[in-house]
Amino acid sequence: MKRNQKIGLICSHGGHFVELLQVREAFDGYPAFLLTYKEVSTLNQKNAYYIANIGKNPVAFIFGVFKIFFILLKERPTVLFSTGSEIAIPPFYFGKFLFGTKLIYLESCAQIFRPSMTGKWVYPITDLFLVQWEPLLKEYGSKAKYVGGLV
Amino acid sequence: MIFVTVGNHFQGFERLLEKVDEIAPRLPHEIVVQKGYSKYVPKNTKHFDFVPSNTALDYIRNSDLVVSHAGMGTIILCREHGIPILIFPRREKFGEHVNDHQLEIAQVLEKRGDPNTYIVYEEDQLEEKIIEAAGKKEIVQLENKGKESLIRTIKEFIEAFQG
Repeated sequence: MKRNQKIGLICSHGGHFVELLQVREAFDGYPAFLLTYKEVSTLNQKNAYYIANIGKNPVAFIFGVFKIFFILLKERPTVLFSTGSEIAIPPFYFGKFLFGTKLIYLESCAQIFRPSMTGKWVYPITDLFLVQWEPLLKEYGSKAKYVGGLV
Repeated sequence: MIFVTVGNHFQGFERLLEKVDEIAPRLPHEIVVQKGYSKYVPKNTKHFDFVPSNTALDYIRNSDLVVSHAGMGTIILCREHGIPILIFPRREKFGEHVNDHQLEIAQVLEKRGDPNTYIVYEEDQLEEKIIEAAGKKEIVQLENKGKESLIRTIKEFIEAFQG
């Protein structure tokens, strides 16, 4: 039985977005919303919140962080899942320290030997941290898990 | 049709676009180019900057060959739908990306030798490889055990703390 969980799915556009859709069925049956960047390639998604790219400039970053906070306040997710990139950092920290949210992070399969900047930021607070290439395990720590990759 | 795609990365990928435009008149295939943030405007092919993800997927599925930067989104979708892909990595030294992880991806995939996956590192080899790869379209659906494991692991994690 699927009780009282609500899933927040978070990713930027491009490959991160494709990777998130690849594992989307892991959350089938749970209410879920998507938080992503407003770009041509991410248009037309159901239950989606769109924000401007927070990596582009400080103003967009501050606006984006506020918007993310109010989205979390409204939606009250119990689980946040992200495939990166930096869009995951503010909601993961809000989720962890203000909302008691469980955090799942899937490092992009583009990262073979080196951790991503976002991965390094969220690794310490993430509950389930998955990498898609084995060489990356030793770059993170004992919490990182490898069960396979999308390619 | 050959679909050429350079993804959403903020830097352009002029080397690929210029070469494709140069060889396009010599190729028997219709060529469609997604040029992203690149400055070069193709003269000999259809082109656009960006499309919604489902439109991009339609282009991929209708292609005899996809010619792509080493972007994971395109690589994943080509594999999922069994479409041949020719990967030409973006390089840091040409200002095409912020580091050389695309080169690493290309090298790892080349070493693994997946079917339907062609790797090119130098632009002067593109024409020959494109002709070779586009000439033998063969749908090869690869099973994806990694994807299944990831989905199962995430599912079990959520179920475990349901109480």
